[in-house]
Order: sequence, then C-alpha cells, then structure tokens
Amino acid sequence: MAPPNTNKRCKGVQIFRPFVFGSTARLFDPVTNPKPAGTPDDHTHSWTVFVKGVDDVDITYWCKKVTFKLHDSIPNPTRIIENVQPGTPFQVSETGWGEFEIVIKIYYVPEASEKPQTLYHHLRLHPYGTDAEKEEMRTKGEVISWSYEEQLFNEPNEQFFDLLTSPVDRKAAGGKGGKGKGTKLMRGGMVGSTGERTALIPVGSRPGQPYSRETEKKEMRRMGEAKAKVDEMVKEAQRQYMDAERELAALRQG
Amino acid sequence: MTSHDVRDMLDLPQEGTPRPTKKQKLNGPRPVLKGLAREVQNLGGDNPIAIVPEVTVFKKRRFATRKPAAKWDARPFKNSARQDGLILRHWRRKDDKPAAPTVDGEGEEKKVEEIEDSTFAKYNVQVNIPDYTDEEYNLRLQNQEWTKHETDYLFSLCREYDLRFPVIWDRYEYEPPIPQPSEGDAAENAGALIVPPKTRTVEDMKARYYSVAATVMALRKPPIKMNSAEFNLHEVMLNFNPAQETARKKFAETAFHRTKDEAAEEQSLLLELKRIMARADKLGEERRELYARLEAPPSNGNIAPYTTSQGLAQLVSQLASADRSKKHRKSLMGGETMSPATGPNTSTQQPYDRRESSVRESISGPSGLNNKKGSSQNPTERRQLTEEEERIYGVSRHDRIGTSGPAFRQEKILKPLQSKSAVQQQKITNVLNELGIPYSASTRLIMPTAEVGEGFDALLHSINNLLDARKLVDKLQGEIATAKAVRAERERVERERGEGGAEVKREEGVGIAESRKRSASVMSAASDRSGKRLKK
Repeated sequence: MAPPNTNKRCKGVQIFRPFVFGSTARLFDPVTNPKPAGTPDDHTHSWTVFVKGVDDVDITYWCKKVTFKLHDSIPNPTRIIENVQPGTPFQVSETGWGEFEIVIKIYYVPEASEKPQTLYHHLRLHPYGTDAEKEEMRTKGEVISWSYEEQLFNEPNEQFFDLLTSPVDRKAAGGKGGKGKGTKLMRGGMVGSTGERTALIPVGSRPGQPYSRETEKKEMRRMGEAKAKVDEMVKEAQRQYMDAERELAALRQG
Repeated sequence: MTSHDVRDMLDLPQEGTPRPTKKQKLNGPRPVLKGLAREVQNLGGDNPIAIVPEVTVFKKRRFATRKPAAKWDARPFKNSARQDGLILRHWRRKDDKPAAPTVDGEGEEKKVEEIEDSTFAKYNVQVNIPDYTDEEYNLRLQNQEWTKHETDYLFSLCREYDLRFPVIWDRYEYEPPIPQPSEGDAAENAGALIVPPKTRTVEDMKARYYSVAATVMALRKPPIKMNSAEFNLHEVMLNFNPAQETARKKFAETAFHRTKDEAAEEQSLLLELKRIMARADKLGEERRELYARLEAPPSNGNIAPYTTSQGLAQLVSQLASADRSKKHRKSLMGGETMSPATGPNTSTQQPYDRRESSVRESISGPSGLNNKKGSSQNPTERRQLTEEEERIYGVSRHDRIGTSGPAFRQEKILKPLQSKSAVQQQKITNVLNELGIPYSASTRLIMPTAEVGEGFDALLHSINNLLDARKLVDKLQGEIATAKAVRAERERVERERGEGGAEVKREEGVGIAESRKRSASVMSAASDRSGKRLKK
C-alpha cells in the first residue's frame, strides 16, 4: 500500500516522462521463428507486449510495476511484472492466434503515492495500415504496434518532485526520510545509476528506436502543413461567404 | 663477538665454553652509532659506548656513480605562434648518443631543418571569434546604436586582444569614417554629419559582441541542433544583460569598499533576520495548532465520566500519553487534525507551510512539537530549478492544472476532440482525411509531446473555424435560395398583375413579409440545430 499522503503537492507543476508501450508479433516459421515445444497447434504467432523507456532508458524510478490483462482465454490472464532490471522493459511474451485488447495498468513508486493508471493497447498480429506499411511488415516478418506516450505527473507531491528532478547521486544521498523508506530510496538510487533520469528523448531516430526529436519535428511539420491548408480553406470559405452575402444583398435589393 | 676479539688481542686462551646464546641476541639490536669506525665501536665491548663523537659530515664524495658532465648546447628554436619567424637560441641538453657519423655536409643540413618549436607555442590559443558576411549583417545584425563600421572595428579588436574586454575597452579608439566631402556641400557636411564617437563602456561592448555572436551562432546552427555545451554558451550569450552587469560591478565595488564595521553590521542583521524568521515560524506553528483545536469537530461523547476529579485526572494522563505517542510517531498530526474540519483553512495555510519548511532547514533551534519530524518529512526543500534543468527533467509550470495526479499526454491532447459529439467528430475526421492526415478519435498521434499537442490544438482550432465558416456559407446559401424563390415569386406576381387587381397586390405584400419571416426562422432554426448538436 502506498504510504498515507502527508506530502504537499507542488502547485501548478507538471512533470512528464516519455515512454513507449506496444507489441511486437512474429509469425511462427520453421526456420526463423520455430514453435516452442508445448505450444497448442492452433497458435500461429508469438508476441510480446511491453512498457519501456524511450531508447531503453530506466523508468523503474517512477514506474514500480505494470500489470497486463490479457484475454480471458489465456491461462493466468493477469500478468504482474515488477522488479525488472532498470533499462529493461516490463514485458510479457505469449503465443496465440487472435488479436485482442490488452489492458495495461501502470503502478507508480510509493513516493508518488498516486493511483495506478490504465492504458489500452490493441494487440496486432496481422499487418495493418496502408498497403506499403503492410508490405513492409510482411517482408520484415514482424508486426510492430508501438505507441509513444508521455506520462504526466500533475502537481506531484514534493518528495516525488525531488525524485523526478534529481540526478541519481543526489537521490541516494538525500534518502533519509523515515526508516523503512530510507532503505528503499537507497536501493532506488543505486538501481537507477544505469541511466539518466531525465525527460529527454534522443535527437535522432535509430533502427528499433523510432521515437526521437526528429520524429517529433516531422509530426510538427505535418501538423503545420495541415494547419496551413486548413487556414487556406477557411479563407476560401470566408470568400465564399462574402460572395454569397453580396449575392444575397443583390437579390434582396433587386 | 667482541669479547672474542678482546681475548684474541690479549692472547687469552680460547674458552671452550660456548657463549651463551642470549648474548647473541643482545648483540643484534645494538644501536649502531653513525660516524664511528667499527673498530672503535667494538672497543666498548658489550657495553655500548655512551659518548657520541661530533662528526663533521662533508659532502660525500661521488665514487662509482660519477658520470661525465652532461653536455649542453645552445640550440636554435622557433616559436610557431610568432609570425616573423624569429629564431632564438636556448640551452638544451645534448642527446647521450652522438649522432651517427655522417658526411659533414649532410649532417649540417639536417640540423638546420630540425629547428624545434617552442614548448610555449601551444599556449597561443586563438579565440574563436565568429565572422559575419555583409548580407548577414544587413539581415539580422542591424542595430541603432552601432554602425557596421564600428561593429567591424569592435570585432577586429576582439580578435586582436582575444576577447579580453578590459583591454579592448582600454584600446578602444573608434573614429567613424569621415564621409568623403563632395565639392559642393563640403561645408554643410562638415557641420552636420560628423558626430563625435560615443564613449562605450565595457558592458556596451560586451552586449554588442554577445548579441552578434549569439545571432551568428544561431544562424550557423539552429539551437535545437546544438549540443548541450553549445546550447549553454548560446543561452549565456543571449541572456547577457548589461544593466545587470553594471549593477553587479557597482555592487562588488561597494562591497569592496565596505568597512569592517559595516560588514559586521550586515552579519548581525542577517542573524537578526534568521531569528525573526524562526520566531515567525514558531508562531505559525502555534497558530496552526490553535486553529486545529478550535475547529476540531465537537464531540458528542458523554462527559459524565469527566465530571469528577478522578475522571479528570484520568483524562489528563490519557492526553499526556497521546501527546507522547504523537511525538514519537511521524507527525501525522498536521494532516490528520486538519483534514476533517478545516477545508478552506488548509489552502490558506499552504504557502506559509512551504516557507516554513525551507526556513527550518537552516535553523536548528527546536521549535514546536513536530520540528524534527517535519524536516525529515521533506528531506530537501523544494529546489529552484534552472531553465535548463526544467527542460531536462520535463518540468513545466501552469497557472491551472485541471486535476492533479498522473495522466497521459495522448488522452489530454485528444480530449477536446473526443469530448465533441459524434457528428462533430465525424466532420472533423472528414476534414482531416481530406487533408491526408488519418487522425480520428480512435487513432493516435505518433508522438504526443507537448509541442505536438500545441500544434494539434492549433490545427483543431483552425478546423473548427473552417467548420463554422462552412456552416455560415451553407446558411447563406439557403437564404440565397429563399431569396431567389421570393424573387421568382414576385416576378410571377408582377407578370400576373396585368390581369389581377388590388387583391394580388395584397398577396404580394404578404408574400414578402412571409419570406422575410421565413429567412429569419431559417436562421434561428440553424442555430437551434447547432445548439442541439452540441448538447447531444
């Protein structure tokens, strides 16, 4: 259980942390992806659903555990993943034949004393999207359905604020709140030393790491172009409106 | 050993008895006196000599380690930092092994070639002064205060003195170019155009230099692509504030001239301030406790047990024990006692609390009952983050945040879209599809970052504008249609007027009135419909 929330929230402050969640599925193939022994005959794909940091950075300092609620037909459908190595994803690997919605619940570290939040992810086994995208997935042999997401912490409490805005060493030194908590903080500090605890995302994309400032900029550009187009259309509509108004005035007078 | 020697000297017979081993042991750790020949020392026998002769230690002669004196020669060297190629000589140790015997002429030549560079040449570091073209200057670097000529002059000085601004300031003697007087109006020009050059302070020069350098830097490489060192440099140069710099210097100057008494006074004032803060702190604590007591929910419990003195004594002891346990426990007290009764009160106390916690860090005097606990609760006061840090840690400040707690950006961005009615959503989706952006309420943004969110918001806003504009156009179109119909009607009536009489005329009037009414009702119907849609 989270400790009682005696901490004050930092008013008007919002902190975000980027992360990636989604699934990767592969068709069973005798050569490249052989069926493991004991898999039911009707299973056609192996897949993995995960939650991880962008560029595989550590997220364990704010995300304590993740539960994946799989389809009820799968044995033991609620999978609880915790105590993962920092920098490695929270993930579940399974085999199956059908697509379904996975409910991902993210639990935060006790310092945050926040309620868990829910994400929904549609498991994709078959190529989707435009024809080109489908073709690419087919040739690659992997169906990737990943989503970039930003975890917002609105008005975090002060302790959590400190945790989120401190580099690792400070954290370990400052962990002296209470007895039980102290040890946990120390451990957290040591564990986190594998990566930087920042909200930065990589500047450029790499294969397997599609989310970066570059991608963001591309998206921004697309948005900007679309906006320009829409603005153009608005002007056009306004022109039409003026024309119509004139026409109407002419009609009324005549 | 020694007694043995003595016997030997005095020709005493060798004693058959072996010397006890103890003696040997004694011999071992005997202090060895320096500067005394062994023979003399041995004369003392088993007793160590008590007198230590004064030894004059001369410089030890070097025996075997003696090497032939090192050879030095005056070798020419050059300094690559100099342009004039001056060659000086300095003493250098000669290499141990003599150069391989070669033909004389060749050896000479080689030596000449191998003129070494001065070891100090590496300290001649050139500062990287940005350069700008005329075009760039005209586009971005124009300034009211500075002419291009003067800026050029400043930069040349910067280059010459490696950005040492005090030196630059010292040598700054700018003379504006004298305009070439043309024949006719030479006299006029001389009177009007020659303005005495402004006196520049160090800050003026710095400000100009930094602004130009930062602009040029940003021109060469957009800030978003800079690495963190470059970005920091750019930030620093961009944020140079001459007024602040002057104030800082003035302050430093006055601080430097401060007398001892003044410094002491300041110190004592600071102490006083700390004390006042601490007192305010304590007072706040007490007041809060009082409030908590005052606004505690009235108890409906039976007071009968406390009417007797015995009962009262029991109550007192109970309270005392509760107080003690409260002190031991981490102070839940603040939250517990305040939360049930004092709704608005907590919020008014908030800013006060925050300051308290930060003050408590620096003052160690015990105050209030949860002093120590309180400080451990917030192990560090809320730190002030720099802008750079805020960027790194993704911290942003808002005037109003809807709800506190965790959320996802994607949802937040798409909320305005998803909260719309299905019809409206469909319309927006249609527009987006028209634009070739396959967004809809069910699909997601690829990168839901803050920036993209803003972009999406702007896009949505434009789309709403578009939809509104289109609606208006549609409405007008409808009105035009009715107006056309009215006109057609009127024309028909006019055509019929030839046959008809006053009756028709009246009809016409009714027709027009009716059509007016209808157009008005069309308008209201449209707005009604839109209102309903929104409500849906």
